[in-house]
Amino acid sequence: MDSLYSLIDGFGTALTPMNLLWAAVGVLLGTAIGVLPGIGPAMAVALLLPVTYGLEPTGAFIMFAGIYYGAMFGGSTTSILLNTPGESAAVVAAIEGNPMAKAGRGAQALAAAAIGHFAGGMIGTILLVVLAPTVAALAVDIGAPDYFALMVLAFIAVTSVLGSSRIRGLASLLIGLTIGLVGLDQMTGQQRLTFGSLQLADGVDVVIVAVGLFAIGEALWVAAHLRRTMGEAIPVGRPWLGKDDVTRSWKSWLRGPLIGFPLGAIPAGGAEIPTFLSYVTEKRLSKHKEQFGKGAIEGVAGPESAASASAAGTLVSMLTLGLPTTAVAAVMLAAFQQYGIQPGPLLFEREPDLVWGLIASLFVGMVLLLALNLPLAPVWAKLLRIPRPYLYAGILFFAAVGAYAVGGEALDLVILLVIGLIGLGMRRYGLPVLPAVIGVILGPAAEQQLRRALQISDGSLTGLVNTPFSVTVYAVVVILLAWPLLRKVIVRRRHVAA
Amino acid sequence: MRLRTPLALLGSALLVLLGPPLLTTGSGSDTGTQIPGLRFMVPNTPGGGYDITARTAAKNAEEAGLTGDIEVFNLPGAGGTVGLTRLVGERGNGRLAMSMGLGVVGAVHTNKTPRTLADTTPIARLTEEQDIVVVGKNSPYKTIEELLVAWKKDPGKLPVGGGSSPGGPDHLAPMLMAQAAGIAPKDVNYVPFDGGGELLASILGNKVGFGVSGVGEYLDQIKAGELRLLAVTGPKRVPGLDAPTLREAGLDTEFTNWRGIVAPPGLSDAEREKLVGLVTELHGSPQWRESLEKHGWNDAFLPGEEFGTFLTAQDRRVASVLKELGL
Amino acid sequence: MTTNLKTWLRERSELGVGVLLFLLGVLVLTDALTLDADVTGRGPVGPATVPLVVGCGLLVVAVLLSVDVLRGGRGEAEAGEDVDLTEPADWRTVLLLAGVFLAFAVLIGPLGFPVAGALLFWGAAYALGSRHLHRDPLIAAALSLFTYGVFDKLLGVPLPGGPLMGVI
Repeated sequence: MDSLYSLIDGFGTALTPMNLLWAAVGVLLGTAIGVLPGIGPAMAVALLLPVTYGLEPTGAFIMFAGIYYGAMFGGSTTSILLNTPGESAAVVAAIEGNPMAKAGRGAQALAAAAIGHFAGGMIGTILLVVLAPTVAALAVDIGAPDYFALMVLAFIAVTSVLGSSRIRGLASLLIGLTIGLVGLDQMTGQQRLTFGSLQLADGVDVVIVAVGLFAIGEALWVAAHLRRTMGEAIPVGRPWLGKDDVTRSWKSWLRGPLIGFPLGAIPAGGAEIPTFLSYVTEKRLSKHKEQFGKGAIEGVAGPESAASASAAGTLVSMLTLGLPTTAVAAVMLAAFQQYGIQPGPLLFEREPDLVWGLIASLFVGMVLLLALNLPLAPVWAKLLRIPRPYLYAGILFFAAVGAYAVGGEALDLVILLVIGLIGLGMRRYGLPVLPAVIGVILGPAAEQQLRRALQISDGSLTGLVNTPFSVTVYAVVVILLAWPLLRKVIVRRRHVAA
Repeated sequence: MRLRTPLALLGSALLVLLGPPLLTTGSGSDTGTQIPGLRFMVPNTPGGGYDITARTAAKNAEEAGLTGDIEVFNLPGAGGTVGLTRLVGERGNGRLAMSMGLGVVGAVHTNKTPRTLADTTPIARLTEEQDIVVVGKNSPYKTIEELLVAWKKDPGKLPVGGGSSPGGPDHLAPMLMAQAAGIAPKDVNYVPFDGGGELLASILGNKVGFGVSGVGEYLDQIKAGELRLLAVTGPKRVPGLDAPTLREAGLDTEFTNWRGIVAPPGLSDAEREKLVGLVTELHGSPQWRESLEKHGWNDAFLPGEEFGTFLTAQDRRVASVLKELGL
Repeated sequence: MTTNLKTWLRERSELGVGVLLFLLGVLVLTDALTLDADVTGRGPVGPATVPLVVGCGLLVVAVLLSVDVLRGGRGEAEAGEDVDLTEPADWRTVLLLAGVFLAFAVLIGPLGFPVAGALLFWGAAYALGSRHLHRDPLIAAALSLFTYGVFDKLLGVPLPGGPLMGVI
């Protein structure tokens, strides 16, 4: 119960008028900048670092937390409204969110995302308070074989998003895996599929792939088949979530953190794999499977909640171990050092006011984020009422700005266009886009963990199954694979018995 | 109606052409150390080592009133060689500098880039940092000697974790150690991790035999007893850390990572002097002193020509190690 | 006969996807096989293993997809709110858009972001059927300049300003 008292003290710190102000400023700035194309949370925090130079540490970190959560939510906003994810964790939000927005349910999608962020953040932060030491101890025990087992599980899960034609889904997945191969091999530094170009050496960024396949591909596809008889702007519809929406979403909001928090806390987890796993889970569990891909609200609610909770998980590893598990955490770690504070095992003892103030301000920031964005959702959604030519021209414009702003390389724009054309072709011939994006995310991660595991075991294949965690995961995989067969056997037995 | 279209066209053309220069105000005068419009390129991502060095240096220079706004921007890719290629391409641009370090020297070799650091104008080396050899608190190895015995016996069974890709500092350090210990560098089982996070977890969880990293990264974990520090790789012991140097442990080698600043090629003498002058002034400023202390960086200031000579020597050393590895 | 062949091929234009996938597979495999085998690293999985698997996968999927198409399987073109599949595809607009985008990539260096960005927005809107010649360029210019201001001035993300930077 010590942590509870400390937390109450923390609220004392967070609720001082000045710190409340910093939290609000952080959330506002974070959302505003997160909405901009090409600027994800890591970039937002890095860019706003100088703003905090004048503040004392507690205020600065309270503001950072606000920026972090704000930027994550801002990224989802563009995903939903314009189909242009600003960062990899927001990719999944575009899959269901954008069709919803196109169908005039943008406000609902945004509200589902906002509440998802709120729920995920709240639950994640509560878990942070209660479980921080436990999770931190466990996170250290997760190694390469365990990650690889998780990736295998993720690949099995992919089969459920392959779409109506398995073979076309597989083709899409393989296109994604091929794009994921581009770049320097992380283990030996050899160039693969770079054709000697240095700009390709770091591979093609997931955001470029997602923006290219979703936004550019979509814009070109629409251009090829633009409804000439239109004139009707996209209807805005009701501004609030209906009863039906809430009944469908609340479980997803609560499930998201279960996936997001633990994966955020482990060193190679990050935010994109939990959002994707949450999406697949929601699809499996939904009673409205047929709506998936066409705007199912669960597909927004779950992943957004998972993304937000994974941010809380990230903070667990960073505050307790000094482990930066994502780029944002790395920037925040650098900011800590700016103040001469070293996050790590001693941080809770050495700077209790700061840590607990920061944690308390996460709760405060979450409430501010919800209070700010829920009323704004219908306003944002009206953005889609602008005439089609401007809307799609704007999407192209922002996609281009985003791709260029990251590295200032004109070549990135050409890559973006090429991927957009691939996206166009995929739409024309009914290849689903989602498996390709997942291939880009999962492929390189899985390969790296596989090879790292094998290298640590000095080439012995037993290195893949030498931990209880990995064995458990493989057991789950086997059960999942054997389930249809098992079910048949059981049904037959019953028949025989009957 | 007929007039409105040309007017609109003219208006928009004026807007986009005149807007940007008019938005830029107060570019400052070109006197003293002032370099108006100076831009500072970071060849890796926000939060990385070069990034922190660059942003800190820029901020300190502004605070000390040495120059106006310095624009820091990131151009990450291929271990810094994407940024390097751009820098070399900006021939004669006296308003651009790039933060870099030993990692870029290695990346030039592993990526076999046509543009090398020999093509740049060296400005100054700023800081240096020793590497450390660490194990988890539950590791069977209590001293560097015990570790070396086990390592020599079966290098494959003792994976070495480091935070850099092949050719980077955390890769070079164990390779030099292996050379000195009589282990063929090819037999070293080096496992690269991206960034400090996953590496730290692997050392704490004893997933790797031992880890190599910059001394500043894990100070807290060492003090908390989570990590056991076995040795430092530099020429001298680090004050406050109870660990021998490699030489004391009987390995005839030393390794120190460093960071510095280079500028595009083809600068006039005046332009070069100006940049070196600015960095020299920065080095003397109390703000920079304070930053060095805060970040635990070691001052290793080495301006202009001498830095150039140092770069050439480093390049040769890195090349010989990597050649032996076949990279 | 030739017309028959043409219609036969047009109906099965998806075979082209199979061919492209096959070529991609060949490309991946060639690249994997030309990797420097000297630096194999450790263990059974080297830098070429995964590309080999992906390359073979591409070849297999290419063949399976072609077989599926020949048997009469068709990929369903994606529907959407703004998409009218009853009309034949308007490839001119697509080419125009791609051209405008490519022009942006080429012009951003010499002309700077505000000019190139305005041309991108105006060009795209024009290609998509907007013909307000007195309104569109102004909207495009304002949007482009505003974006430039936010990124370059407020956030410090550098974007090229154009030929007049430093002249005035």
